[in-house]
Amino acid sequence: MPAWSQDVLRFVINTELLAQYGWRLLTGLQMTAAVVGLSFCLGFVLAWPVALARMSRRFAVSRLAASYIAVFRGTPLLCQLYLIYYGGGEFRPFFTEVGVWWFFRDAYYCCILSFTLNTAAYQAEILRGAIQSVPKGQVEAARALGLSWLAIMRHVVMPQALLVAIRPLGNELISVIKASALAAIVTLLDLMGQTRFVFARTFDFSIYLYCALIYLALTEMTRRVVEAIEMRLSRHVRAGAPSITVVAPKRRYRVGLGGVRL
Amino acid sequence: MSWYALLFGPDGWIGLLLKGAVVTVALSVTTAPFGFGAGLALALMKMSRNRLLRAACDVYTTFFRGIPDLLALFIIYFGLQALLDRTSKLLGLEGHLELSAFSAGVIALSVVVAAYSSEVWIASLAAVPAGQREAAQSLGLDRAQVFRLVILPQLGRVALPGLGNIWMILQKDTALISTLAVTDLLRAASEASRATTRPLVFYTAAGALYLCFTLVSGVVQGALERRANRGYA
Amino acid sequence: MKTANAMVLAKRCLAALGVAAALVTAQAQAKEWKTVRIGMDATYPPFESVNAKGEIVGWEVDYATELCKRMKVTCTFQNQDWDGIIPSLVANKFDVIMSSMNITDKRKALVNFSQVYFSTPPVFVGAAGVKSTDVSPEALKGKTIGTQSSTTFANYLEAMYKGSEIKLYPGGDEPQNDLKAGRLDYTLTDLIVGTNFVEKVGAGCCKVVTEIKRVPEFFGPGVGAAFRKEDADLTAMFNKAIDEVDADGTYKKIADGYFKINIRGK
Repeated sequence: MPAWSQDVLRFVINTELLAQYGWRLLTGLQMTAAVVGLSFCLGFVLAWPVALARMSRRFAVSRLAASYIAVFRGTPLLCQLYLIYYGGGEFRPFFTEVGVWWFFRDAYYCCILSFTLNTAAYQAEILRGAIQSVPKGQVEAARALGLSWLAIMRHVVMPQALLVAIRPLGNELISVIKASALAAIVTLLDLMGQTRFVFARTFDFSIYLYCALIYLALTEMTRRVVEAIEMRLSRHVRAGAPSITVVAPKRRYRVGLGGVRL
Repeated sequence: MSWYALLFGPDGWIGLLLKGAVVTVALSVTTAPFGFGAGLALALMKMSRNRLLRAACDVYTTFFRGIPDLLALFIIYFGLQALLDRTSKLLGLEGHLELSAFSAGVIALSVVVAAYSSEVWIASLAAVPAGQREAAQSLGLDRAQVFRLVILPQLGRVALPGLGNIWMILQKDTALISTLAVTDLLRAASEASRATTRPLVFYTAAGALYLCFTLVSGVVQGALERRANRGYA
Repeated sequence: MKTANAMVLAKRCLAALGVAAALVTAQAQAKEWKTVRIGMDATYPPFESVNAKGEIVGWEVDYATELCKRMKVTCTFQNQDWDGIIPSLVANKFDVIMSSMNITDKRKALVNFSQVYFSTPPVFVGAAGVKSTDVSPEALKGKTIGTQSSTTFANYLEAMYKGSEIKLYPGGDEPQNDLKAGRLDYTLTDLIVGTNFVEKVGAGCCKVVTEIKRVPEFFGPGVGAAFRKEDADLTAMFNKAIDEVDADGTYKKIADGYFKINIRGK
């Protein structure tokens, strides 16, 4: 076996490193999962009012929501995170007075806050698009039947909108997973943070490979699960109706931007 | 010190911030043609008959779309120089080829942007009706001509919204380079806030400048799309 | 588009990229040292930091400039994040690290070091309210201590202060800034850096609590310049220059412009 291939092999399969520091990657993964899970769910909750406000007929309300979305989609997440984490420190006297300093003191909460605000802006746009994809006539018909606004949303708009939104929301989840690596920059020991820690100790580049593979497994799994869910939920729509994925002869191409951010 | 003095005073940091802003714009403007071009090449290779090539390209895109951009940039930034050194040693060159931090950043960003944009190109290639190609071929055009004269001119129009999206991502991705070595806008802001221990003003200023870029880009993209769609209204 | 012309175009695109890559690569450098690129993590005032013009300034810059004068080489300074500073040296992004890097066995496995050119004790900086000067692991149990990651300080804290919460920051000045913000109870940093910070922000924020001993197995003998293993010639040049600058009193002159104490550690 030539020398270089042994080098490569040692780089790819580094049992010593894994045995000693593998647990660190696992605890990091746990932290990543917690941050991503919390921020994505909270972001989803926040996205609804933002999306509805964005579609409001009141100019001031829709402008406000639009500015929120523009600011959080138009600036790098890292900048937002720095602003909340380091900028928040400047408000310590004020935050202490109103009793929320414990929140801003903790890097974990700062990360969750900035990721939530960020993903809410993206999810709001997804939801808006999905809601607007429901034909207006249906809403008018429902109104003619005397249904209340809430009932129309719940029984007519939401079920259809969510179906359209599943795939982009899945992509957004993938983006949040990837973006969560930034947490390491503000001292959080997530998967990326633990990787940096191990690298600082060992100067062994293999650890970055393992880190990449774990992220890859995470995002690929998410993509596949979301695809399966969408397939299952859209059975009734797909039967006979044109598919929403672009189908080229022989091969099907994935269309759109899965998991892209920042 | 007031915000005004911190930015515009005698020892104000606005100059460094603006210098960083220029670097940020230069990074994205330089990366875009390479990244988009490589993305198109990738898209075409993904459609080739060679199964091995297709698989290799799929692995490439899956990998770079599946891992955090921060990690991808880090791996390329350090891996690339090692690769260059190995190659130049293999070719028996004296000394070493060296990459400036800026060009290493451009390459790292291009690799990531290529992976993202290949999906957009594929979608727009698929959007050109097959009948057009058949018609062109029956007119006696060879394959290269079909591509250059019939398909390529239409690609831009279809790909524009998707590429615009990636351009926005790219602009924000440049901020990640700040964690490596290039003094871009975000790093300038971070240096200013460390030196003065007043982060709020500088990160706000940086955010405002980023917002300007994306807003301007949005306007330009809208204009380009309108222009490209003239014949389709 | 499953056509051969697709391949042709793909190849052309790749060729164009290759040309572009060739354009951005600089000239191959000759082995004779005419210019030396020095990498620093400029987050460590007063040793190295960035000023409002974006220049790297500080004692270590002045000192390195003096060394370069002796070696008759042109020196350029590059800013590089600490986490990537050794990989960058090895990857040939610059030729020397002069960034208050302590000489340790772990680092010696990867890079060569010059002789020690300064040595200062580590120091605990604490919030203004800290009364006791006891910084033993027992006394700091349950406290939050911050320091820069990938440093000797970080290794020391990880090994000795198991009962405390340890936060690691990418930059050398970020822990102190977070101490000021109130997120940390203590930071572990260099004596000069800690004192400089407290002087700058005022005693209302924080104070230098106490120096600790330079435990050799953690902190090594002192700070040296780091080189790639193959650049033994450059290491020798630096060692010679360090001796020269010491001998004629220039070292003292440069240091006196910055520090009240003797940092030479000799």
